[in-house]
Amino acid sequence: MTFLTVLLLPFLFIGLINKMKAVYVGKQGAPILQPYYDFFKLIKKGEVLSDTSSFVFKIAPSINLACTIVAAIILTLLNFNGDFILFSYVLALGKFFSVIAAMDTGSSFEGMGASREVSYTSLVEPAFFIIIGSVAALSGIHSFRNLYALIQIHNEIVILISLLAIFALFMMILIEGSRVPIDDPKTHLELTMIHEVMVLDNSGVDLAFIHYASAMKMLLFSTLIANIICPQFWWAYWLVLLVIAFLIATIESIGARIRLTHIIEYTFVMISVALIVMSLVLLVMHGGHIA
Amino acid sequence: MNFIAAALTFKPIVSILYERNILETTVYMGQLLKDVAFRVDALSAFFIMIICGVGLLGTIYSKKYLEPYIEQGKKLGSHLFLFNVFLASMLLVVMSQNIIFFLISWELMSFSSFLLMIFEHEEKEVRQSGINYLITMHVGVMFLVVGFILMYLKTGSFDFSAFEGKISELVFAIMFIGFGIKAGFVPLHSWLPKAHPVAPTHISALMSGVMIKTGIYGILRMLLYMGKPTITVSYCVLLVGLASAFFGILYAVAQRNYKKMLAYSSIENIGIITTGMAVAMLGLAYNNFIMTMFGFLGCFLHILNHSIFKTMMFFNAGAVYTQTHTKDMEKLGGLVKPMKNTAILFLLGSLAISALPPFNGFISEFLIYIGFLTSFSTQNYFLYTIIIAAFGIIAFVGAMALIAFTNAFSIIFLGSPRTEKAQHVKEDVSIFMQLPIIVLAFCSLVIGLFPQRYIDLVVAPVQQFIPFSVPYELLTVISIFNITLCVVILIIIGLRALLLRGRTVEHRETWGCGYQYPTAKIQYSANSFTRPFLGFLTPFYKRELNFTQIKELFPQKTSFKSRIIDIFEYYIIKPIVIVDEFIISKFYWIQSGHTQRYLIYGVVFLIVAIALLIGGKI
Repeated sequence: MTFLTVLLLPFLFIGLINKMKAVYVGKQGAPILQPYYDFFKLIKKGEVLSDTSSFVFKIAPSINLACTIVAAIILTLLNFNGDFILFSYVLALGKFFSVIAAMDTGSSFEGMGASREVSYTSLVEPAFFIIIGSVAALSGIHSFRNLYALIQIHNEIVILISLLAIFALFMMILIEGSRVPIDDPKTHLELTMIHEVMVLDNSGVDLAFIHYASAMKMLLFSTLIANIICPQFWWAYWLVLLVIAFLIATIESIGARIRLTHIIEYTFVMISVALIVMSLVLLVMHGGHIA
Repeated sequence: MNFIAAALTFKPIVSILYERNILETTVYMGQLLKDVAFRVDALSAFFIMIICGVGLLGTIYSKKYLEPYIEQGKKLGSHLFLFNVFLASMLLVVMSQNIIFFLISWELMSFSSFLLMIFEHEEKEVRQSGINYLITMHVGVMFLVVGFILMYLKTGSFDFSAFEGKISELVFAIMFIGFGIKAGFVPLHSWLPKAHPVAPTHISALMSGVMIKTGIYGILRMLLYMGKPTITVSYCVLLVGLASAFFGILYAVAQRNYKKMLAYSSIENIGIITTGMAVAMLGLAYNNFIMTMFGFLGCFLHILNHSIFKTMMFFNAGAVYTQTHTKDMEKLGGLVKPMKNTAILFLLGSLAISALPPFNGFISEFLIYIGFLTSFSTQNYFLYTIIIAAFGIIAFVGAMALIAFTNAFSIIFLGSPRTEKAQHVKEDVSIFMQLPIIVLAFCSLVIGLFPQRYIDLVVAPVQQFIPFSVPYELLTVISIFNITLCVVILIIIGLRALLLRGRTVEHRETWGCGYQYPTAKIQYSANSFTRPFLGFLTPFYKRELNFTQIKELFPQKTSFKSRIIDIFEYYIIKPIVIVDEFIISKFYWIQSGHTQRYLIYGVVFLIVAIALLIGGKI
């Protein structure tokens, strides 16, 4: 169920965000299904490849998409010890390929994007691991399920921990999904972009795959949040997704992106939140209030 | 136990024989067996397997690699002889169980590798790094000698087996430093990034893939005799492991010499191996044996994996060097077109070394992570704090490895050629040079896809430390996922090909924002690629900038140079050397160069010796 959602509806999620953003500024906006139309239009097209590029450029978008799909399988279908490690490393494999594909064109803009992408997302993994590691210490479960089990523990500090974990995960969505305040998906000025600039030379099917993969990645992290908040009811899952889409749209409508040199501060906030989660977990365990 | 060991050594022994046949060397080991204890247990056999495997591939590789040198009229006889001595001495190191013989083989190993390293001794840089290496190794040996003397005084035996349960914390610490210099732990690593770039490729592959592991072997051997390590020692080892991993990969990111980059990445991997060992030690110290099991499995598997992918990467680097004659990444680019096979192999190696699935590096790191997670069943809050922090650091190291290797791969192979050196490359290296790399790539993929089968290679040495049952189920799950990943990747690539069938695929120049005449110089360089990342880690390295500021209205020419300096070398090694030089300079007068004075020394010595003798007698 969740798997099918993640597989089929990522564009709906993006469409929703775009619609909300349009409503915010008083426009009618594109239809919610617009990303789907774009996707199918791109899928039907041929491609333009750069002269400089090699086989890497051709296979990278497909590998990136495949990695995201496998990450979705890991997150939604199965549970085993250390599944989050595999999840995060599979996504890293996708990132590896998208970075070298950007470098493959020999374009300085794409090099810029690739360089920024690896630099700014380098702190996502440690933050993610510290949070899940701390929660694993708390619940004694070594898989994603430990996050889901968190809400069952009725303790004031544990609620705080869940909130902070959700906050950090939300920050990760914004970084991994290249949204405001890290990156602006709307802008088309090459010098200031991160994710968009990496895919300047992609077209046709490859571009469709890239859009699909990045939308799915956002939905994956959102699913993670939804599962922490309310793992039992299916309707709650949809509600949480809606709320997240709303939050992202709100941030993009009322805020601007931060200066590139300050993005690093943002990522350090994320790491700090992760460290606070860790200390709170230790506090709870030391206090012995755990149910 | 012996049976497992015997079964395991069967393969290595076959390969030793195989190697002797190929090389027609005099690697003969029977003579010393008579008087010196000489045991091959599972731990030794494991290392013998690595030494023989990499040694064999190195031999095949060196044949083609050395060909250009033969054409230049270089004499290779002594080099090849020393190569065999080097292999033999490494085997002797892991097999001998006697203090004296161990030290002899250890010295032989250091010395032969030194001579091999200075193959291109005409160059000043090579000689300097060589001497640096030799001196550093002897500092290491000094620690070992002290450690062994202490052990001898305690046990009264030269045989290792007498050490059982008698190794104290102090001895372990001394040995750890001694072996650590060989292994290249931060901050004892300064020889490594100097030695690897100057050595010929097959030698640096052997040194990095195998020789530095003999340091790890020594520590593991001591650990085996130590029994239960104390908590403090275990934490110290963890700290050293994490520091090596972190600083190793940080400096790897900063390098533009690709062989130096690989050398620093060796430090990182040694750090990960040591972290695995530390997890195991903590498990032993806290009586959490599941943790010990995962720690050791990860540690040993990573030793094997590192020797596979690091050898592979050095061989690839050698292939690039043979074709371009430069070790500077910034001078390369666009090599993917003429050297497609090498590019693919380099890419596979980079994926494996960045510990990405479905390759072998991921499996060992995964086991270490699981080792971290299993520590949470021990009720100790200090342990929790440290482990969670270590968890984050290793994850960060993984992210940095990704930066280092995306950087290296894309700057060397992708884009368009940056200088003439890269432009002139017309063809790939010969298939004989690629064959060993293909074998290694295959091993790396197979271990990654079927870890549940190849974990057996490391089970026997781990079982020497603790008895356990192998976690096959977990590895099977990973194996299924890795295979799924490959299948999904193939499906999507197939889907793409299907979609594009019959459609137009045009080739145009890269989009340059409307700019029509791009040159290779406007591409992103390695320096600029890593700049934003290194920008926020400034406290951990020192950047030396050297550029002339533009002052006039019509500037003529300006230059910019930046260099990353290893802080350990700058703040620790350098002051020690300065102090040392100062002290030693006070004794210069002893060596005056006058033969008469030396004769007086001799006479004085004799008189003193005789006086002492007589005095002692009476």
